[in-house]
Amino acid sequence: MTPGLPDWVAVLTAILVLLGSILTLIGTIGLLRFKSFYARVHAPTIGTTLGIGCVLIASIIYFSVLQSRPVFHEVLIMIFVTVTTPITLMLLVKAALHRDKDAGKDHMPSHPAD
Amino acid sequence: MFSSDTLLLATIALPFVGSLVASLLPTNARNAEAWLACGTALCVLVSLSLLYPAMADEQIVRSEFEWIPSAGLSFVLRVDGFAWIFALLITGVGFLVFLYARYYMSPEDPVPRFFAFLLAFMGSMLGIALSGNLIQLVFFWELTSFFSFLLIGYWHHDASARAGARIALTVTASGGLCLFAGVIVLGHIAGSYDLDRVLAAGDVIRGHALYLPALVLILIGALTKSAQFPFHFWLPRAMAAPTPVSAYLHSATMVKAGVFLLARLWPVLGGTDYWLYIVGSAGLVTFVMGAFLAMFQNDLKSVLAYSTLSHLGLITLLLGLDSPLATVAAIFHMLNHATFKASLFMGVGIIDHETGTRDIRRLSGLYRFLPVTATLAMVAAAAMAGVPLLNGFLSKEMFFAETIATHNGSLLDDALPYVATLAAMFSVAYSLRFIRDVFFGPPATLPRTPKEPPHWMRFPIELLVVVCLVVGIVPNLTIGPFLNIAVASVLGPNAPVFDLAVWHGFTLPFLMSIIALAGGVATYAVLRVYNLDTGPLFVLAKSRLSVGDTVSAWARRILGLLGTQRLQTQLRILVCVALVAGFLPLVGHKLLPETMELTPIDPAFALVWIIGIVCALATAQQAKFHRLAALILMGGAGLATCITFIYLSAPDLALTQLLVEVVTMVLILLGLRWLPKRLDEGLRQADSSTLMRRYVDLSIALAAGAGLAAVSFAVLTRQVLPDGIADHFLERSYTEGGGRNVVNVILVDFRGFDTLGEVSVLCIVALSVFALLRRFRPAPESLSVPERKRVQEAFDVDHPDRQPGETFADYLLVPSVIMRLLFPVIGTFAIYLFLRGHDFPGGGFVAGLSMAIAIILQYMAMGTVWVEHRIRVYPLRWMALGFAFAFATGIAAWLVGYPFLTSHMFIAHLPIIGDVHISSTLFFDFGVLAIVLGATVLILIALAHQTIRTHRKPSMPSAVADGVG
Repeated sequence: MTPGLPDWVAVLTAILVLLGSILTLIGTIGLLRFKSFYARVHAPTIGTTLGIGCVLIASIIYFSVLQSRPVFHEVLIMIFVTVTTPITLMLLVKAALHRDKDAGKDHMPSHPAD
Repeated sequence: MFSSDTLLLATIALPFVGSLVASLLPTNARNAEAWLACGTALCVLVSLSLLYPAMADEQIVRSEFEWIPSAGLSFVLRVDGFAWIFALLITGVGFLVFLYARYYMSPEDPVPRFFAFLLAFMGSMLGIALSGNLIQLVFFWELTSFFSFLLIGYWHHDASARAGARIALTVTASGGLCLFAGVIVLGHIAGSYDLDRVLAAGDVIRGHALYLPALVLILIGALTKSAQFPFHFWLPRAMAAPTPVSAYLHSATMVKAGVFLLARLWPVLGGTDYWLYIVGSAGLVTFVMGAFLAMFQNDLKSVLAYSTLSHLGLITLLLGLDSPLATVAAIFHMLNHATFKASLFMGVGIIDHETGTRDIRRLSGLYRFLPVTATLAMVAAAAMAGVPLLNGFLSKEMFFAETIATHNGSLLDDALPYVATLAAMFSVAYSLRFIRDVFFGPPATLPRTPKEPPHWMRFPIELLVVVCLVVGIVPNLTIGPFLNIAVASVLGPNAPVFDLAVWHGFTLPFLMSIIALAGGVATYAVLRVYNLDTGPLFVLAKSRLSVGDTVSAWARRILGLLGTQRLQTQLRILVCVALVAGFLPLVGHKLLPETMELTPIDPAFALVWIIGIVCALATAQQAKFHRLAALILMGGAGLATCITFIYLSAPDLALTQLLVEVVTMVLILLGLRWLPKRLDEGLRQADSSTLMRRYVDLSIALAAGAGLAAVSFAVLTRQVLPDGIADHFLERSYTEGGGRNVVNVILVDFRGFDTLGEVSVLCIVALSVFALLRRFRPAPESLSVPERKRVQEAFDVDHPDRQPGETFADYLLVPSVIMRLLFPVIGTFAIYLFLRGHDFPGGGFVAGLSMAIAIILQYMAMGTVWVEHRIRVYPLRWMALGFAFAFATGIAAWLVGYPFLTSHMFIAHLPIIGDVHISSTLFFDFGVLAIVLGATVLILIALAHQTIRTHRKPSMPSAVADGVG
């Protein structure tokens, strides 16, 4: 137990960290279990958004109380993560679509751009 | 008045300061730098002339500045009569040449560079003349070689100028290295490098067992510089230099340095048979050969170049004759030759400038166009030929007198007067040819109609010709006292009494002069009958000795034998050498301690490592045929390393590792597109030699990897030393470095100088990458546009309502908008990392990398053209700014009396933020940031521009250069 930390903060932090970890784990299991690429792409995003969000909120609360001043660095991390995940997702899916189209598997309605 | 210390230091320092200032002037400031150069030369002349009273008293003025006293090295400036005269000559002719160059150089040339080189060259020559320490003399000696290289190659677009500069540098700089070796031997014999002490140790030196090696090495240095046979070939080729350079370097200074050194060291090295034979024969051969070949040259500057060879041969021969009077004649001829040859070179420059050609066969009848210049050139040429009442006559007569005086009665001695008269005849012949063929005869059709040049362009020639005349007519009143000063300082108490009178009566030397003049006229008459262009004699004379070509051919052959241009072979050798070098010190040592207590294995950590190892192995396996997969796997291994650092509480390293990983990954990805495709033919199908090579490579890799692992393991498991360096850093980081982040304090403070070296290496690497990629020719199969892009472009072309490139923009619309928006966010992050660096993980290096990532993202999202329309990053300026900051921080410590890069901490009171403690290392760290940013972006730009280049300008590879400001 860290000295100088109220119990309620410790409990809250623990719950948030645990929640974040569980969400990330669920996302990872999804990545393993889903069959198609397009389904798989969605699974880890739950970890990278909600999961990391919980951990970061926990971090904000923990360090703000510990240092007796507001600590907000984690907001920057949040921005980065929430911004980069969709980009990655979009790029991956576009690449997969092109690959499938070249291979003759067309699951999409025809789009002018392709 | 000024102390002698100040005067001497000013004499040496002013030209270099002037050179620095000139190099900073704008390109078109032709007058400004000419004034600067002339002013500098005048200041040096004044400070030299202030030394006249001391010189007239035959004193030696010395000033000594301690440099490395423990090694017995100090910066000694020493001027005696001879050095003083030589320095006056360098500065005086320098002044005239600067004035001349103002009018000679075309405004289109980058003139500041020219004057900067000339001034620096003058400083180096003065350094040779005024050095009181032999090592220091060799330093300035090599500097003159270096600057003469830059000056000869000034018109570097001209291949012959480049070749001439290269040969001159090769010959004179290698001669300089021999001189260096010789001087070290000499210093060893004499027990000191101090010139005065060496000069006082003449008998010891001549009697020493190492006398001959020292003599030969020093003579090679002197003879290469003075272009004496067999090292004469560089001088005619150096005529590709601009004419002011030839007038300065090849008449008065550079080539005179060799004979200056010979005369300087003659009191200690001369007086032996070796000296007589080596110096005497080199001088004699050059004297005759130069005069002979000069008759057959059709380029005016070549005539002068061979004539210079011949006259330098004469001076060398005089010094080789090893008698006091001959030395007097040598010094006298050094001065005379400088005056008439400099004026002749400048005259030829005017002819070239006004007519557009220097070919004797095309020039004719110039007298009616250029009467004044023609008269001046004729007087100077007559001095060169040794016509009475001109200065050349006087020293040549002294030379004749010396050849008659018997020395040891050998065959050489008996033949000397005849050979000397013969060579003098040749020199009359080529002087006559110069005068008659160029200035008289019918007017020729020329590229330009010549007219007289501006008066101030002619002024230097006028002055020098007046000197020739005055010295020739009243020598005792003019040059006499100066010559006395110079001779007294070289010969000391043995100085002979000499008579400079014009008329000594009808003596044997006078008869020799008359014979030479008459014979020269006859030789010229015969030559005119003989067809100069096709005769066998001419062909023989024209076949140049191509020693330089032979040397470079041999060098190339040896390089082909010992070196390789294949990167794989180079890497193989490098790794093998590193392996052996790492292994050798470990022989006979125990690598591991006796008892080992290993920490228990954390399963999570072990898992990370297993993933990392698998990634690394898979990288190696995929590297040959699936580069993209290999790259991704390598990233995985890098991330495992990164997590390791975090796990072992090294957040700084983790942060750096992460960012470096990202940047290298992206840059390699960008480069990957240009590598040729490889087809996976499988290991089995390869032939046996290929297979063999792969197994050898595999074993080298395994050995190197295992060795590195073993060494790391040994370092990690060894006993921690009680007073190791780690505690030292930990304790003093805050108290002395002013920062809580020990890693950063080590980088920017304790080991700041190392960091400076490392970032310099980074810059060099970035510049090399840029230079290599600028000339990069992609393999033909990777030249084509990638398939996806082709499809998109075809789609745009097929649909008339779409703009070209629209599909591509649509395709990346959302990601690119978000990536653009990330620029300020990453920028903030970089600033944050930078500011916290001194106390928490962060610092200039990672901040620079983050900023570079922000810029890379923009390039990736929107393309090179879009980005460079909006933000121009000038990587070279960033790098320069970084260096400026880093060095300024270091030098600031000097200014307040501390060693380079000492840090200082102070508390600043900022308005809103409050008290902030700032360490001076913050500025250093900013320098690191700027350098890292610049270097990374430079590589990025080099890669990014490949795309523009091949897609837009398939035939113009120079487009890359536009990217760097």
